[in-house]
Amino acid sequence: MDESDENQQFYRSKHISYFKRTLNVLPEECEKLDPTRLSLAFFALSGLDLLNALDSLSPMLKEDTIKWIYHLQITLNEEESNARQCGFRGSTDISFKNMETSTPFYNGHIAMTYVALNCLLILGDDLSRVDKDGIVNGLKALQLDNGCFAATINGSEDDMRFVYCACCISTMINDWRGINKHKAIDYILSSIGYDGGISQGPELESHAGSTFCAVASLYLMGCLDTCLADKQKEILKRWLVNRQIDGFQGRPNKLQDTCYSFWVGATLKLLGLYDCIDFERQRRYLLSTQSKFVGGFAKWTNTFPDPLHSYFGICGLSLAHEFDLLELHPALNITMRAYAHLERLS
Amino acid sequence: MMSSDVDDPVGVLYRHDPEWADVTPIKQDDGLASVVSIAYSEKFKDVFDYFRAIMKSQEVSERAFKLTSDAVATCPANYSVWQYRRKLLKDLKKNLFDELEMIGNFIIEEPKNYQVWYHRRVLVEWLQDATLELSFTAEVLQDDPKNFHAWQHRQWCLNIFGLWANKGDSELEFVNNQIKEDVRNNSAWNQRYYVISNTTGFSGEILDKEISYTWYWITKAPNNESSWNYLRGILNGRRKAYLHPNLKSDCLHLISQDLKSSHLLAFLFDLIEEELDDLNDDIESNYKLELLAKAGELCNRLSDEVDPIRIKYWKYMKRRLIRKFNPNDSQNS
Repeated sequence: MDESDENQQFYRSKHISYFKRTLNVLPEECEKLDPTRLSLAFFALSGLDLLNALDSLSPMLKEDTIKWIYHLQITLNEEESNARQCGFRGSTDISFKNMETSTPFYNGHIAMTYVALNCLLILGDDLSRVDKDGIVNGLKALQLDNGCFAATINGSEDDMRFVYCACCISTMINDWRGINKHKAIDYILSSIGYDGGISQGPELESHAGSTFCAVASLYLMGCLDTCLADKQKEILKRWLVNRQIDGFQGRPNKLQDTCYSFWVGATLKLLGLYDCIDFERQRRYLLSTQSKFVGGFAKWTNTFPDPLHSYFGICGLSLAHEFDLLELHPALNITMRAYAHLERLS
Repeated sequence: MMSSDVDDPVGVLYRHDPEWADVTPIKQDDGLASVVSIAYSEKFKDVFDYFRAIMKSQEVSERAFKLTSDAVATCPANYSVWQYRRKLLKDLKKNLFDELEMIGNFIIEEPKNYQVWYHRRVLVEWLQDATLELSFTAEVLQDDPKNFHAWQHRQWCLNIFGLWANKGDSELEFVNNQIKEDVRNNSAWNQRYYVISNTTGFSGEILDKEISYTWYWITKAPNNESSWNYLRGILNGRRKAYLHPNLKSDCLHLISQDLKSSHLLAFLFDLIEEELDDLNDDIESNYKLELLAKAGELCNRLSDEVDPIRIKYWKYMKRRLIRKFNPNDSQNS
């Protein structure tokens, strides 16, 4: 392999600029991401946090961000008629001034509630303005009879991603009344595939993303060790380590993609087997997906960067303790620094 | 719907449309501060200014329905628009088959978008009619044989509507063709497991057939993880690999052909470990030591030669094996 050192450089300051730009203004092409703007803010904030560069943001910007996040919250009204709607939205797409929080279709979205809480913790907020009862009610409205979670009321798909969000949310508000844990665990266990990986739901194809969501959920519910038998853990570990090509892939015989360095890597961390990966080959792949000129990471080499892959690329390197990045909490997906702040709040 | 039609040529914004003169558009309200601002196009701002207006008034009308068409074309991931559209579909008693056709075309253009697939699912539910779904998902899979949404929708339709023609034979044939097209299509192998689980089950004779079927494809592509995972998966909890009359010898035969397949060696390793699990603990037999040596040797070959990217994993597996079966022998490495 004849790779110049230049290709193996970590463009730290470029990534900081990239994330700062993301927090500021995004180009027109990003308008299709409008409903999930809050997740873009999360990628940028948590990315800067991992880079230990949060203080490059002005205190005013941090305050403005907190204000904007709380503006997205749907709180329980006095009559409690909107209990099922509570949580956070991802953007102000359908908001208007002086709207009732019981306005039809104005519902929280479970993934946006999750990233909202993450962002608030990263920014050092004390969560005192978070309507925890509202959130608990919102979660209850989203859990199905089979234990899975939908994303929002009034019609939404349901799968392992939202089981994960529910567990993270409950952890962060330190209140598990919104989840029937037994049912959630049943759903997770019934989604284990014949190949040892875990899927979005029963009988579907095992996937690294849903595997992470399932394992992290079990971890957060405090039953990772008891719910999976040794044999199940071993076959799961095998499935996970087999995902490495140089970087990692999401399913057998698929292409590698930057973000799987997190989905697979974090799962291996939770199972205590992360150190078995090939660090060198992962590093080479991740660094090759950096954008030298605009910063950020793409899913593949020689491809345009985007906020999601930029964030998970940094996560992948953080898990590997590379480049002085801050440590990542492998289940909650925030820095240990932000997690320490959460612990101090409890 | 997606492209402009005669009545609404490109460039005519809602705010210039006399049909909408009675409605006050509502600008986006980010509150006192805004981050992650998007430089929306004029069209985007215009469509959503009016969408917010109809959300506020909860307008139910043909023009509102048409507005939702524009809104989803502009921003397909906006689940709130899709939700409101579904309300209008019901309130206006729209033709659901027309909508099914629309969403089919949309899915072909945006095959990885969650909202369009969910919308189709709801339509099929409302219609209680899944007759088009197998051919529709097959069409999507032609473009992308591993599209997770397509396979998921297909399974959902089979589960809810029981579209198991000829006791699952026709779905099995579909899977068979997918595997023939690309033996490395992991989604197809997963579907195979799904079909058999839900029809005949993996009973004795079926299991034999499946083992032979899988072995055939293994010989064609010996390092294909999908087929090895399937083989291990169908045996798990049903039959012990080491007790099968041919598997062990077939594996050894492939190894003797010097095939550098990590999954082959790993399968043999697992087979031996299972045999060791079943041996009586008290017996410090030569046979047990022989098996341990063989398994250890496989780990060595994997870490040193055949699967070097996973060298640390195979060293871990070897240590684990020794700890488990020969705890007194701590010098073995």
